[in-house]
Amino acid sequence: MFFPTSLSRGAGFGAVVGVALMLSVFTVIDFDGWWTVQTVTNVLHFASILGLIAMGQALVIMSKEIDLSVGSVYGLAGIAFITLQPDLGVPGAIVAALLISALIGFLQALAVLKGALPSMIVSLGGLFTVRGIIYVWTGGSVRAFPEEARSHWITRMLGGEFLGLEASLFWLLVLLAILSVLLWRTKFGNHLLAAGGDLDSAKSQGVQTDRTKTIAFVTCSLLAGFAGIVTLADRPQTHVTLGELLELEAIAAAVIGGCLLSGGRGSLLGAVLGALIVVSFRYELIALGAPSSWFMTFVGIVLIIAVIFNQKLARAAGHSL
Amino acid sequence: MLKSEIKRLVRRHTEIGILFISLCLVLLFTLTSEGRWANAYNIGTILQVTATLGLMTLGVALVIGTGEIDISVGSTFGIGALIYLWFAVRIDPVFAALLAVGAGALIGAFNGILVTRTKTPSLIITLGSLMIFRGLAIALTDGFSFSVPYKERDGFSYSVLGGAEFLGINTGFYWLVAGLAVLLIALKMTPWGNWLLAVGGSAASAHSRGVRVERIKLSAFVVCGVLAAFAGTLEASKLGFADGSMGRLMELQAIAACVLGGCVLAGGRISLPGAVLGAFVLSSVQSYLVVTGVRPQWFILLLGLIVVFAALGDRTLRRWSLKN
Amino acid sequence: MNKQTPLIQIKNLDLHFGAFHALKNVSVDFHAGELVGLVGDNGAGKTTLIRVLCGIHTPSAGEVYFDGTRVKTFHPKLAIDQGIETIQQSVGLCDNLSIARNFYLGREPVKRFCGLPLLDFAKMREMSGRVIRQFGLRENVSVDDEVERLSGGERQSVKIGRAVEFKNRVVIMDEPTNHLSVREREHVNELALQLRDQGLLVIYITHDIFQVHRLADRIVIMENGEKIEDASTETMSAEALEEVIRQGGRIVEKRDAV
Repeated sequence: MFFPTSLSRGAGFGAVVGVALMLSVFTVIDFDGWWTVQTVTNVLHFASILGLIAMGQALVIMSKEIDLSVGSVYGLAGIAFITLQPDLGVPGAIVAALLISALIGFLQALAVLKGALPSMIVSLGGLFTVRGIIYVWTGGSVRAFPEEARSHWITRMLGGEFLGLEASLFWLLVLLAILSVLLWRTKFGNHLLAAGGDLDSAKSQGVQTDRTKTIAFVTCSLLAGFAGIVTLADRPQTHVTLGELLELEAIAAAVIGGCLLSGGRGSLLGAVLGALIVVSFRYELIALGAPSSWFMTFVGIVLIIAVIFNQKLARAAGHSL
Repeated sequence: MLKSEIKRLVRRHTEIGILFISLCLVLLFTLTSEGRWANAYNIGTILQVTATLGLMTLGVALVIGTGEIDISVGSTFGIGALIYLWFAVRIDPVFAALLAVGAGALIGAFNGILVTRTKTPSLIITLGSLMIFRGLAIALTDGFSFSVPYKERDGFSYSVLGGAEFLGINTGFYWLVAGLAVLLIALKMTPWGNWLLAVGGSAASAHSRGVRVERIKLSAFVVCGVLAAFAGTLEASKLGFADGSMGRLMELQAIAACVLGGCVLAGGRISLPGAVLGAFVLSSVQSYLVVTGVRPQWFILLLGLIVVFAALGDRTLRRWSLKN
Repeated sequence: MNKQTPLIQIKNLDLHFGAFHALKNVSVDFHAGELVGLVGDNGAGKTTLIRVLCGIHTPSAGEVYFDGTRVKTFHPKLAIDQGIETIQQSVGLCDNLSIARNFYLGREPVKRFCGLPLLDFAKMREMSGRVIRQFGLRENVSVDDEVERLSGGERQSVKIGRAVEFKNRVVIMDEPTNHLSVREREHVNELALQLRDQGLLVIYITHDIFQVHRLADRIVIMENGEKIEDASTETMSAEALEEVIRQGGRIVEKRDAV
């Protein structure tokens, strides 16, 4: 049962507390507005999307790097899916979009590891470059998804309902399970945490840190790309600004969920819960009728409080930071 | 012998790389745009943009120098612009500017205190304040913008603060030059500057020699906030217009400019002239794309490639200059 | 050994790093005009102890007295102001700064220009150059060169020269002969003795018990965060001290009769 084990490592504990707290507050101040089918459905859907991206970001952060380009990759993959669909069909477009995402992750990893550049700079460059590719490729506007593509069974599997659950939620849970096993039960996961916690020690123990980090970067981009595809499978109309500033929300979600920038520690479930917190705030504010600008302010405050809390938690547990 | 002399020069002056690139670009742009780039009006526009981006970049460079980062400067810029313009129609613009700058200092202090007291990575703290103050700016203006008509902006104070030109160049640019000069002296020729670079190089070593690491970092954040808010003031003064989204994504450009200019993200090695040149290069490239009719979509793509290749080039240059 | 009031008195010092108990109830005195060897195996707590003395760490419990007055706040600036200079192993130099700037870090000489404090570069270059060259800095290395480019021995020269120049009452040396040639080691050890003869307190950390036994008036042995032995070098031979370290303080050595 890895569910309680990963929580008991402490990293995701703060996020659980946060979610419980948040839900209590929402229940008290806005029971009717919050607990409606529409609000809850929206929240679960968008939290799943952000959760996918946040998990990828969590992996990268745990390897002591960062990826600021996930918002742009998310946008590019979604738009590639729509734009390539007429030529490649639905399955082909999905594969192409995923390959593009993986390639971006790989190139960034290359620049960071072989070029010895800080991941903040490389992924910042990636953020701009990929967004630019979106603009240049689409010429500023994105076509709509034709009807027969929308009713394609794969599209429906990604964007509609699947086995009774919102498809995005289903895919989130599946990938959360797979990645959690990967991280906590396999050699790869061990290497990742070692490389993030103490690179030199990991290297001296024979860990192939370059390969491990590359896999982390590629996985992160793949998850962001997949999230983009899922988003468009569900709602096939979009704009070239799709995903702008999403990387900040993903980082916020991962950090709220317990990922420490010092590397080597974190929780995928925590990142997902962090995404839940971020998206819930947005929808509760909408339900309350508050201006959407308050959302940013609130997330910023929650982020700062959460990271300080998580650090204190880690220090109390005896981890040196 | 000559080679080692050049190496020593490159080591001591990290801005050599960006200087070389700037000169090449100026030459390239002048020769390939048939006078559309290299004329007085266009250069004036470039210098105007360089002024605001450059002031912000100077602040970010100082924070990077201490080994931290501040990605909230775009939001501080916006807050500065809003506060300045709102007060400038009610009181003397100089006092309005002081209020805006004061707000910038407070935001900087907010960042600095949280980073040093809680020992939390500055990337996250300033990410939080980026969101808090951006949200605040949008909320204050309720999604709308407000503007001050041109005829109300012809006082001396407005002119001095970027609302007019002097010798054909927007007055904001002179503030940039002054700011660069003052900060350069402070960085290279005062004890404070020595402490700042020491903290960035090795906070532990600086601490062991008695340097008050937390105070230095706090001072860097405050100066950064002041410069960002002042840049916002100049922009609002020039445009006569401010809204909740001003400065959005500028922080990323400022970081890019720092990297272009030879600043090392890990801290301890920055170049203020380099950072300003970096801002100049970014503005020049953008202008070139505009005057040669390239679709504006290409700018952001190029910006991304420039960032990565500049960082790579700078690293290679440094490695070469360190080899014996 | 001097019998006056101890310059530094440490009483029941405890230091915790989170869950890790680094120093356990350490009590020891140090006197002016004394050279004390602080020895012990790796992880014994020697560096941690002197880091408390030079202000980097604040004790969790216990008291430290300097010149009879209780130390209330621990900060390197206060320690340096009190006259405690330290040569540390892993910290002390900033790679990105020049030799001259590192030399004067924290106590930069200034010239006032319209009230503004500007660094007195001439003085910085001249003084740092003069002092460090006495400790082995080659002529072709300029004091404006970044410390990053120096060899291990040259970096050590900078640290030692700095401590000697600004010495006041206490000089703490943590493995000062690391990276040094045989002749340079002798020079440093002679220096330690000279400082002692000038009336300073010299605390000398090393792994080489035979070397320090020749130099020191007194040896303090630490193990696992505790002080396990504190003996004058007249009453205890080097071999006996080595035995104590090896046994880890589990056997109380019978002192060799003088």
